[in-house]
Amino acid sequence: MNGAQHILEAFHRHNIQTIFGYPGGCIMPLYDALVDDVRVEHVLCRHEQGCALAADGYARASGRLGVCIATSGPGATNLITGVANAHRDSIPMLVITGQVPSPLIGTDAFQETDVLGMTLGIVKHSYLVESADELPAILEEAIALAQSGRPGPVWIDIPKDVLLTEATTAPIPTPAQPQAACPDLTSALALLRAARKPLLYSGGGISLAHAEDSFRKFTECSKLPAVVTLKGIGNPGKYSTHNLGMLGMHGSRAANRAVDECDLLLVIGARLDDRATGKLDGFAPNARLIHIDADAAEINKLRSAELAIRGDLNAILGELTQALRETPLAIIDWQKQCQTWRTTGGFQTAVNEEPMAPITGPAFIRQLSRVAPDDTIIACDVGQHQMWVAQHYQFAHPRHHLTSGGLGTMGFGLPAAIGAQFADRQSTVLNVTGDGSFMMNAQELATIRRYNLPVKLIIMDNQCLGMVRQQQELFYNNRESQINLDDNPDFVAMARAFDIPALKIERTDQVRRGIETILAYNGPMLLHVAIAREENVWPIVKPGGSNKEMIDETRRSTADKKENIA
Amino acid sequence: MTTESSNKTPSYTITCRMNHEAAALERLCQVVRIRGFRIEKMAVETSGGVLDIALTVQGTRPLTMLQSQLKKLYTVAEVILTTPVPAPATSRTA
Repeated sequence: MNGAQHILEAFHRHNIQTIFGYPGGCIMPLYDALVDDVRVEHVLCRHEQGCALAADGYARASGRLGVCIATSGPGATNLITGVANAHRDSIPMLVITGQVPSPLIGTDAFQETDVLGMTLGIVKHSYLVESADELPAILEEAIALAQSGRPGPVWIDIPKDVLLTEATTAPIPTPAQPQAACPDLTSALALLRAARKPLLYSGGGISLAHAEDSFRKFTECSKLPAVVTLKGIGNPGKYSTHNLGMLGMHGSRAANRAVDECDLLLVIGARLDDRATGKLDGFAPNARLIHIDADAAEINKLRSAELAIRGDLNAILGELTQALRETPLAIIDWQKQCQTWRTTGGFQTAVNEEPMAPITGPAFIRQLSRVAPDDTIIACDVGQHQMWVAQHYQFAHPRHHLTSGGLGTMGFGLPAAIGAQFADRQSTVLNVTGDGSFMMNAQELATIRRYNLPVKLIIMDNQCLGMVRQQQELFYNNRESQINLDDNPDFVAMARAFDIPALKIERTDQVRRGIETILAYNGPMLLHVAIAREENVWPIVKPGGSNKEMIDETRRSTADKKENIA
Repeated sequence: MTTESSNKTPSYTITCRMNHEAAALERLCQVVRIRGFRIEKMAVETSGGVLDIALTVQGTRPLTMLQSQLKKLYTVAEVILTTPVPAPATSRTA
């Protein structure tokens, strides 16, 4: 077998059945090998960034490894945003690129770029393969590494001659995964029991560790009031009465208030990102902190932990549940207080029943949440619509909410939805996007059409870059700069050009029917939703400000003044 | 104890052992820069497939942050601080 065939053999060994890629000069030996291989489904996207983001969406929705492939030079550089996106959100991904033949490396050959050098900061690890004989072992190591511990993208750059050379290496056995012992939780339980106002703070690490069920059992047993990060949305499920919602810059008043008042913060699978914590000086000022995470480098990175526990979240949550089942926490007053905040400080939206009224973002998302099936997967883009989904859609599971949290990649949603639909052919997959984000990877409409994926596209169109406009309004004296998109193309006509049916709605009385129409359609469909230009996401914390200083609609005129949570 | 340079920015000497493979040193140096430190001095010895690197770095951020990020690199086997600073008294690890 040559190097290219070894790659396909590695895919088979690891049950990798779907890959996303785009061919080109130096990766052609792999595409030649694919011709004779019916076991791998290769999805041809229309841009390499689409390939990487589709692989990312596939991994997020399924919990399995996402794989993307491209050629050298521009193929590789086009992947970079998608790989950086996966890196920032710890998504398991294998990236394979062709490189110019070994003798030509360093000669400024056609389509040569220093892929290894330019991607060091956005990968968990990377390799430049120097001989075909070492390729099988590198593939095994890379596939295991991408999915172990804190997952992330692993990039293998392979010169064309290596892909073509016969490898003599014997197959490498897959290394056994060591069974990690559960760390001692005596101190954690003692801190929990000593606290009067303990609060659970969970993030994307729960689903990354495949610990969704353990987490759900823990929350049900402990009855701890809980907040979630953007990537932790869905962790507590749709019906948890203890969930105060997302914290942070666009978090609920209830969540930020609870963080402000708690005396113990139990952080599980989260990295205390600045969008979640706000200004660190004012974050959880009265709280001792227990930090449980798979990544030792996240412990004490931004906030010192009273107690740090590194280990398998499934095992840790299981032990904590068992201990609390035997002796429950006595925090009834705190639970009641948080319930009160949940009632009064949850995400609110004005309801306008007037049929001719313009559609508002939050009201639309709430209606979508009521109508869409429980197993619906939503891939968002980045901006106001992303926050409205985070605030107002009720997610049953964290893998149903695909959002670019760390990197904030506009253009993520459409290819991520494609990846998610390949991962789960049965579920309803929606891409909820904005008019700005949609145009960043609109070429992938062709991919949806080619594979006849029943992905539904919802463009929330306010004819501007809404989140930038909002911050210019609030924090830059309303001096609008380069946010106007009122010359957008006709999105309905654009979809139809890709042979995707589409319809437009612009009034409140059209919302329910519009949503039901696209959900019922047997195939891809686009819903163009016209919304008001001036609408903002509330509440908001000024970037760099403390979460105590939340601004809401009634206080927008006093945006520059410091205000307490009330 | 930390040593201090003329501009009072703390400096530290650490040693790293890592696999000798493509871009190994670049990987190490990039982490040092991104995490807020500046390389003042660097000495590298190669033995078989292993690099032993003595590194003097300067920076105002906690060195523990740099150490943990360097240890996180897959090909780094160990990171040893040769000018030790006391660990934060309030933190303990289970």
